[in-house]
Amino acid sequence: MNRSSKIFNSKVAGYSSLITFAVLLIAWIAGFSSRLFAVIRFESIIHEFDPWFNYRATAYMVEHGWYKFLNWFDERAWYPLGRIVGGTVYPGLMITSGSIHYLLHILNIPVHIRDICVFLAPVFSGLTSISTYLLTKELWSPGAGLFAASFIAIVPGYISRSVAGSYDNEGIAIFALQFTYFLWVRSVKTGSVFWSAGAALSYFYMVSAWGGYVFIINLIPLHVFVLLIMGRYSPRLLTSYSTFFILGLLFSMQIPFVGFQPIRTSEHMAAMGVFVLLMAVAVLRHLQSVLSRNEFRKLFIVGGLLAAILVFVAVVVLTVLGVVAPWSGRFYSLWDTGYAKIHIPIIASVSEHQPTTWFSFFFDLHILVCAFPVGLWYCIKQVNDERVFVVLYAISAVYFAGVMVRLMLTLTPVVCMLAGVAFSGLLDVFLQEDASKRVASTTSSLPETEDQEESLEKKSFYDKAGKLKHRTKHDTTHESGISSNLKSIVILAVLMILMMFAVHCTWVTSNAYSSPSIVLAFHNSQDGSRNILDDFREAYYWLSQNTADDARIMSWWDYGYQIAGMANRTTLVDNNTWNNSHIALVGKAMSSTEEKSYEIMTSLDVDYVLVIFGGVIGYSGDDINKFLWMVRIAEGEHPKDIKESDFFTDRGEFRVDAEGAPALLNCLMYKLSYYRFGDLKLDYRGPSGYDRTRNAVIGNKDFDLTYLEEAYTTEHWLVRIYRVKKPFEFNRPSLKAKDRLIPPTNFVSRKNLKRRKGFIRNRPTVIKGKRTLK
Amino acid sequence: MKKMELSRIIYCVALTYLCFSAANAEIINKNVERVLDLSSQLVKTTYKITAEETTGKPIKEYVFIVTEPNLSYISAKDGLNKKVEVQKIQEGGASNVFSYKLTFSSPSSKQSIVIETVSTKNILPHPSEIKQNDKQLVKFVGKLYLYSKYSTSTQKTNVILSSSNILSHTQVKPFSVSSNKVFFGPYENIGAQSEDELVLHYENQTPFLTVNTLERTIEVSHWGNIAVKEDIQLTHSGAKLKGSFSRYDFQKDGRSGQSAVKSYKTYLPASANGVYYRDTNGNISTSNMNLMRDFVDLDLRPRFPLFGGWKTQYTLGYNVPSYEYLYSSGNKYMLKMHLIDHIHDNMLIDEAVVNIILPEGSTNIELITPYSVKRHQNDLMYTYLDTVGRPVISFSKQNLVENHISDFTLKYSFSKVSLLQEPLLVIGFIYIIFLFTIVFLRLDLSITSHSHKD
Repeated sequence: MNRSSKIFNSKVAGYSSLITFAVLLIAWIAGFSSRLFAVIRFESIIHEFDPWFNYRATAYMVEHGWYKFLNWFDERAWYPLGRIVGGTVYPGLMITSGSIHYLLHILNIPVHIRDICVFLAPVFSGLTSISTYLLTKELWSPGAGLFAASFIAIVPGYISRSVAGSYDNEGIAIFALQFTYFLWVRSVKTGSVFWSAGAALSYFYMVSAWGGYVFIINLIPLHVFVLLIMGRYSPRLLTSYSTFFILGLLFSMQIPFVGFQPIRTSEHMAAMGVFVLLMAVAVLRHLQSVLSRNEFRKLFIVGGLLAAILVFVAVVVLTVLGVVAPWSGRFYSLWDTGYAKIHIPIIASVSEHQPTTWFSFFFDLHILVCAFPVGLWYCIKQVNDERVFVVLYAISAVYFAGVMVRLMLTLTPVVCMLAGVAFSGLLDVFLQEDASKRVASTTSSLPETEDQEESLEKKSFYDKAGKLKHRTKHDTTHESGISSNLKSIVILAVLMILMMFAVHCTWVTSNAYSSPSIVLAFHNSQDGSRNILDDFREAYYWLSQNTADDARIMSWWDYGYQIAGMANRTTLVDNNTWNNSHIALVGKAMSSTEEKSYEIMTSLDVDYVLVIFGGVIGYSGDDINKFLWMVRIAEGEHPKDIKESDFFTDRGEFRVDAEGAPALLNCLMYKLSYYRFGDLKLDYRGPSGYDRTRNAVIGNKDFDLTYLEEAYTTEHWLVRIYRVKKPFEFNRPSLKAKDRLIPPTNFVSRKNLKRRKGFIRNRPTVIKGKRTLK
Repeated sequence: MKKMELSRIIYCVALTYLCFSAANAEIINKNVERVLDLSSQLVKTTYKITAEETTGKPIKEYVFIVTEPNLSYISAKDGLNKKVEVQKIQEGGASNVFSYKLTFSSPSSKQSIVIETVSTKNILPHPSEIKQNDKQLVKFVGKLYLYSKYSTSTQKTNVILSSSNILSHTQVKPFSVSSNKVFFGPYENIGAQSEDELVLHYENQTPFLTVNTLERTIEVSHWGNIAVKEDIQLTHSGAKLKGSFSRYDFQKDGRSGQSAVKSYKTYLPASANGVYYRDTNGNISTSNMNLMRDFVDLDLRPRFPLFGGWKTQYTLGYNVPSYEYLYSSGNKYMLKMHLIDHIHDNMLIDEAVVNIILPEGSTNIELITPYSVKRHQNDLMYTYLDTVGRPVISFSKQNLVENHISDFTLKYSFSKVSLLQEPLLVIGFIYIIFLFTIVFLRLDLSITSHSHKD
């Protein structure tokens, strides 16, 4: 009997590990391939804006080596300030792809660094699904883990940040996040230093990869704190948290960009406070076991009060002294959604920092958003140390996702996990039939089966939820209540829903998240053929080939990274918006008149100005539509020169046609966008100068540029580049009266009294007379 | 030491003898017909020379002098359309004048020779900077008469231009102009080495494109494929664009930017497949490919129209099946391919570097080129599954034109067994991984006894 069950066990173990392996492999492949839409439709190319910087930095690191990269001062960005790149990036992404590149080249596989960068995020999505599996397995059951792994492989909320070509920190950070949580949960469960040191290492990777590490360093202390409040203190918790905190703190300070922040900013103070609290609790526990009850009470009251006062005073004093920095603006905007709009227009101007709409929850998560509360309920019902963690994770992530569209990304993994729990729980109930059949076929009595299942659970191979014993009883009481018809209907319905989920994911990925945004494609309505608008690369390549190597290009900050990455030219401002006043200066130049902005441009040594203009093809993301943000940011720094209200009509409208505000119709951005556009007739019937994006005939058609000249305009007028003329190039610049004097020289006149007048010898005498008639 | 001196003396004697014999022989050019094709950026000249030996001796050698700078190509044929050997005579003195010695295989007292030369960078834009809507005008300065060692009885020159818009030309009678052709001559009894100038100033809107560098990489695989990759840097070497560029004018006015290069054609071998056209920013989506009977016609459009002085850079690559170019007998292999290939019509390449990558383990490499090239040091390249590296044969040549498109031959030996090396490497690697997994899973590395269950 015993032997046969052992054989059976190993057989089941073999099958279940095969299934686990197969499901995870398929999840990896599916996740990888569903991220390739953009590569197949277009090509292997880096997308959008930030990835271009990451790519450029990675290429620099691969070319010049790690230490050169750390010390890299980029003089091609933020002219004339420059940027210390090594100290202002999270280098995890570059190190990851750089080391992959290094490994492959050791093996003589000549893969271009660009292809590694393009495919890094899809490859890491597979690792994410594996770490999600591991985490869910720790929290609930391997079956739920497989569900969660499959969900996260294809869920749009995560795909949106990890399609091929979207080479950004989030691509690897979600893996690091999930893996850190897995190791943390493991370490809380086991109380082993090994796992918590592993969690600290994984946290170190996360810190090196993404600013979102702050989420971990606040969530884990929160978990510990809540466990303490719930009275779930244990030596395991003490071991794991103290190891994790100390190591994690030391590790995180090794990243140059983070530096001393973990001990000096408010965002990190919670972790330290919880550490102190945990220590205090541990000491008290110890004293409790040593001292008598009365002594302990006294000590508790006095010591507790003293400690509380001490900590409070220390924090206040440190904050006042400026040792501990107060919360940064971006974090304020997490609590008060209106904060950024009032105080930091540059944060508010980014669309991904807007609050999330209800619609996008469904769009990004589909059915998971419905199943997620069910999983949460299961976890709350059968709570234990690690399930407290996932509950906290879920609640905080939901809040942050509601505040900022961008943080949808941190919500997605927990939604997948809890939805996995929910589906697994549902199928556990309705797939019981098979289990009972199998029980029958093994011809063994019930207690033995239970025993066997228990041992399976210990091995954690069996695809069942956690509290098996309890549930088996629960099922046996209800088994007669669920007819097989109902079972099959429910199973079919669940499968149907899951199938629709897969279809929805593919559809969203294909339609919403797979556009490289530097190559635009549109379908011709007449013959259905696909046309490609490659104007961005056309312009950037023109810049790279036909301008001086040190040419400085002024554009709005959105295009800074792309210009640096594709054209390899110096930019004034870019997407690393660290210097608001510099951006405001560019905004001021764009919103002043040509004459005034020429002064700004010459003071900044600008050689070329680049604007994006969508009026010919109806591209809505162009500079005129972003113009109000430029004005607002400029107004923030130069309120005397630029006023937002000047750019609106009397009725408060922003319009570019003849009724538009004169300040708008004469500013540099307007002129550069519409230079010679007034002559252009897009239609034979329509008027000339008709802007398709704003559906209006432009108001200021006939003007010429004095200080700039058109250097290049792309085929569809999407990108327009102007050259700033040198002072001697335009017609006779006006000199002020006092400057008109000829400077004195060493010339001494030889005219004396005698030779006062010069004369010409044999001077012909001109006789005034009448005009001769022909 | 003495031996060398002796040889030097012999050499001097021989040289003086040669000079004397040439002077004494009294060859005269009975009739010279010259066709100057100036319709593109290249100067293509065809000389039909009837040379006669006045004393009736058979002519063995004929010295032909080229005065044009940047001579890129020269070839000669005799009356029977047979190739005549052309040899450059090393000369100290004047740097612009080069003499070529033609050696006939069948000497006779009357030889008719057809000489073709192509020279580059002799048609210069004049003015050198134009506005976007202006026409591109060019100026050519050459020799009105055949610059020859021998005196010439009668000679005619036909000049073919690109358009009938001729601003000025040399007016030595007799001459006539019809449409885009100018006829000079016949001029009679012109002495040797006369230096009268021929100047033509006319409109030439044909593309003035210079390939600054071409790096052609040919990678041979014995699994049936040859990959060709060309890295090309192009400059519009015509009249530079002055002032601003206007997209509006360029789109609306047909006369605007006529000298700009919007697209050009590249011809690839008929069997070319997997063609890609890209630059550092990725695929250049503006190109068309037409499959013709005996070639592939590729219509390449740079990302932006090339105006005077504008540059661009791109990579063009394709694969061809190796059975068309690679011949073998036993362990001996022979690769026969174009040294350079067509890039655009009337092309002009400043410098071409050709790299040929042979399979790992190729030995006894021997290169035969149709014209002299500068060999670089052989190199090694490591790519997929390489252990000892693939030999790279590299050579370069400057100032090339279309006439240089001809085959090189590369002989090497390669044992067929080494073909199996790479698959075996993969198989071995996978085998080791499996073996390692099997062993690892059966190892118990823990220090506690019961941890097996956990």
